[in-house]
Amino acid sequence: MSWVQAASLIQGPGDKGDVFDEEADESLLAQREWQSNMQRRVKEGYRDGIDAGKAVTLQQGFNQGYKKGAEVILNYGRLRGTLSALLSWCHLHNNNSTLINKINNLLDAVGQCEEYVLKHLKSITPPSHVVDLLDSIEDMDLCHVVPAEKKIDEAKDERLCENNAEFNKNCSKSHSGIDCSYVECCRTQEHAHSENPSPTWILEQTASLVKQLGLSVDVLQHLKQL
Amino acid sequence: MAGSQDIFDAIVMADERFHGEGYREGYEEGSSLGVMEGRQHGTLHGAKIGSEIGCYQGFAFAWKCLLHSCTTEKDSRKMKVLESLIGMIQKFPYDDPTYDKLHEDLDKIRGKFKQFCSLLNVQPDFKISAEGSGLSF
Repeated sequence: MSWVQAASLIQGPGDKGDVFDEEADESLLAQREWQSNMQRRVKEGYRDGIDAGKAVTLQQGFNQGYKKGAEVILNYGRLRGTLSALLSWCHLHNNNSTLINKINNLLDAVGQCEEYVLKHLKSITPPSHVVDLLDSIEDMDLCHVVPAEKKIDEAKDERLCENNAEFNKNCSKSHSGIDCSYVECCRTQEHAHSENPSPTWILEQTASLVKQLGLSVDVLQHLKQL
Repeated sequence: MAGSQDIFDAIVMADERFHGEGYREGYEEGSSLGVMEGRQHGTLHGAKIGSEIGCYQGFAFAWKCLLHSCTTEKDSRKMKVLESLIGMIQKFPYDDPTYDKLHEDLDKIRGKFKQFCSLLNVQPDFKISAEGSGLSF
């Protein structure tokens, strides 16, 4: 087309201005259309790439998370199962309702601890901004079984903030966010354990309860890992 | 004609080249997102299995101590079923999502657990949502 227009341009020098305008206008339109098409192709490729990348790594991520989730929660499950066994033993031997209520309360406490740990694991996995992390910290429903003073609460929050700030720093340094998240996930899990007194408190309560029932302390032998 | 073909080839290849560049960026982004999403789902599923298996384990070990002094024939039978349950739990690879008999063995553990509870004449309350664990009798 352009060579045809050029030929016509040579033939009719009087119409040079009009032809030039048309030429320019058409060129701009074509250029714009080309850019639009190329941008669309880039977006399509990007979308296809995301789908392909997810398909490859989704199973890998699932396996990692599955293993971590099972390991973290197993001990809480053991504690819950032990308390349930004691509860059923009390029912069988017609024990007083005070002890039964105590066991039920401890079971509720274990459930709260599990939820807390799970929420922590979930909130740590995706790298996010400090503001989002602070929001999630505020949203966290910390286990209230042990009445904690304000100082202790502030200390906990402060440590959580420091930990998450450190997480953000590591994330920015690290080239791949995956390793950073995984390492931080492990650390935070340990951090959560050391900071949350409830498992130890529940174990102590369970031990004293076992004594009240006149049972052997061997019942709790397999829970020493907590 | 050769020059003309090259021009048209350049246009077609530009189309593919742009698509390929977008694909490459998207693939990197998708890989990261895939690991994160997978890890989140995996954590939930793994925690569910870990919690359930842990409950059976804690329950079984505690009752093993409680039944330690078995005097009657009925208690002896309870102990047999209990030992079988403990063996199944210990062999179960709770942290391996790729285990091909995961659901099969989990169902067996659940069945054995129900049998033991029936012998004890108790209905344990793990305070778990009954939907996931299949503990409804």
